[in-house]
Amino acid sequence: MSDNHADLIVLGAGPGGYACAFRAADLGRNVVMVDPRATLGGVCLNVGCIPSKALLHAAEVIREARHGDDWGISTGKVSVDLEKLRAKKESIVAQLTTGLVGLAKRRKVQTIRGTAQFTGDKSVEIDGTTWTFDQAVIAVGSAPVRLPGWPEDDRIWDSTDALELREVPPKLSIVGGGIIGLEMATVYAALGSKVTVIEFMDQIAPGADGDAVAILHAALEAEGVTIHTNTKVNNVKATKATLTLSCEGAFEGTIKADVAIQAVGRRSNGSLVAPKAAGIEMDDRGIIHVDAACRTNVANIFAIGDVTGNPMLAHRATHQGHVAAEVALGHSAALDTSLIPSVAYTAPELAWAGLTQAQAKDQGIAYKVASFPWVASGRNLASGGGDGLTKLVYCPDSHRLLGATIVGRNAGELLAESVLAMEMGATLEDVSLSVHAHPTLSETVGFAAERALGTLTDL
Amino acid sequence: MKACLNSWKLNTFRPVGKGAGMSDIIVPPSVRALARQKGIDLEKLAKDLGRTSIAREDLDGGKPAARPPSDTSYWDVDHSQFGPVTEEPMSRFAQVAAANLGAANARIPQVTHHDRADVSAIEALRRELKPEAQARGVKLTALAFQAKALARALREFPRFNSSLSPDGKTLTLKDYVHIGIAVDTAHGLMVPAVRNVDRKGLWQIAAEIFDLASRAQNRKVGPDEMGGASMTITNLGGIGGIGFTPIVNPPEVAILGLTRTETVTVWDGDMPRPVPMVPLDLSYDHRVINGADAARFVSYLAALIADPRRIMV
Repeated sequence: MSDNHADLIVLGAGPGGYACAFRAADLGRNVVMVDPRATLGGVCLNVGCIPSKALLHAAEVIREARHGDDWGISTGKVSVDLEKLRAKKESIVAQLTTGLVGLAKRRKVQTIRGTAQFTGDKSVEIDGTTWTFDQAVIAVGSAPVRLPGWPEDDRIWDSTDALELREVPPKLSIVGGGIIGLEMATVYAALGSKVTVIEFMDQIAPGADGDAVAILHAALEAEGVTIHTNTKVNNVKATKATLTLSCEGAFEGTIKADVAIQAVGRRSNGSLVAPKAAGIEMDDRGIIHVDAACRTNVANIFAIGDVTGNPMLAHRATHQGHVAAEVALGHSAALDTSLIPSVAYTAPELAWAGLTQAQAKDQGIAYKVASFPWVASGRNLASGGGDGLTKLVYCPDSHRLLGATIVGRNAGELLAESVLAMEMGATLEDVSLSVHAHPTLSETVGFAAERALGTLTDL
Repeated sequence: MKACLNSWKLNTFRPVGKGAGMSDIIVPPSVRALARQKGIDLEKLAKDLGRTSIAREDLDGGKPAARPPSDTSYWDVDHSQFGPVTEEPMSRFAQVAAANLGAANARIPQVTHHDRADVSAIEALRRELKPEAQARGVKLTALAFQAKALARALREFPRFNSSLSPDGKTLTLKDYVHIGIAVDTAHGLMVPAVRNVDRKGLWQIAAEIFDLASRAQNRKVGPDEMGGASMTITNLGGIGGIGFTPIVNPPEVAILGLTRTETVTVWDGDMPRPVPMVPLDLSYDHRVINGADAARFVSYLAALIADPRRIMV
């Protein structure tokens, strides 16, 4: 056995990779983790979930300060020191990534900075050095999709660039009205950009419940964001003065922008690890398909997270990471659920899990919906919350919860109850008979269930 | 290899069929994980238990799905600790028969009705026909008369010539009369059937029973010669006994047991008279046949045996 040997090698130190490496180490395996970044945590901690949430929090503070007049609280004109905000964001990221280094050390997980490529089903090359392994886990994530035909220009950003907070462009166009695009719209609108969102589908946050999206749509517009749905960007011209986006569809015409953000989705990084050299099958989108136990077609090699396809979400990767570690160590485990929550940390937040009304209809599944509007929520009004909606999809026969969508403040937190309810097979009765504290936003879930059962007295 | 998204075997809401709603199994995540560790197939377990939700307790004690419904562990005894023993394997044939008998006994609520029939007329007739029987080379057995009488009784009581569907929802009434004859062979019990007994004469019935029974001894009975019986007769008359409780042979709804004919004292007024009587034991599926009907049926059968002329009329 060569000196450079790992019992288990994990390629990628994102939320999936480190969860897998740490779990395997906790189970007693000698683990090596490889990542090209200087810091651990992958996209999520460095240029994704965490920095975006820091900026979204700043955006919320700005909005609250601006809207304080209603409450008799005046702060005067809100000014933002971009450099300080950037430093705060970076200190939060640094705190978390350094924390990971400590967690890795404590578990004796060896971390190597470098780019790994397979050279066989028992070996990888990390920047010229050969390593052998017994088992490997591919967790190399995904990268933002770059739209073809766009010019090379510093004013064209992807989500990573947007999170760097280089400047607050006076006019910002965001191509793609999915979760990432909408979060960036929320941040930059609060910072003072005149934001335009261009979405190819017929609604922003495609796939989410239409009623909930309408509330988010209206709230974004109220914050000064222009939204064009059913619209496609045909051509982008870069001149010294401006970027010009030519659009067709529901909106026909040109949009001038100082900066344009591409937020049209993410693409698996599968091809970066040369999977063919190990005999691993990969499709033409770079996705490495795995079974519920996260096994690839090669017995000793697993794959987890974004590299295994949609939904490309950190919490899915984390769960798969634990599964892969356990299966690699001979335990019986699998990710045997389809309940992966989706959350847009916009203002208001939009969160959903399970079946939406439209999915239930399309799939011919018998369903009913029950909703509770947040205008009737005491807690929401008392905390200055805007419009919101809690909507449940349920089975008309058994009353089992099949899906939940929440739009409103803290929707991402509020969704957890419904996910647990669905995993446990809970019915509307179970939800409504569970006592929710008053006054809370979580009551809206209980109220929606009561409304379906005809026992609601708050509406 | 299938995509992860499509290969989740069990989750809390996999739609089953278009418009069918959510009819799959409810299992909490921790119980799903435990089932995976124990190697328990939750869908099969739910089916075996006849349930749509599975709780942690359902997984206790290993793999209920792979076991018979009751605990037989206390049968598992090392008998040699009590004295010398030898072992022999159960043949495949015997194992299948054992499973079928076990299922029949466990799942069918059975009652046995006991009666007896005067066979003096039949015995007289057999004696009379003995020279002819010898000439024909056929042994005219009492069993042939019993089969013929039973066939007539089945025509009179159609509900005894029926089968209940496994789900208990449909009763099939048969417009034919085949009589199964249980045959004791060296390799186990076999039940060939004599077809259309109601339309055949005694000589033919006797000849066919003899032929089937002797071929059964050599395992030369074809699969098409077994099954499809209206009712089975199990005859221990040649061995002995004064009565027993045979197990219904599903899908038939009753079985007729015969033991050895005994001469009993019958009182005609004050006068005792010796009468040869054959014990009749009818076990029946109580889901299809009630006790009063069984008593009427056996009493009708006994009357036919006592006066075989009535089989004709």
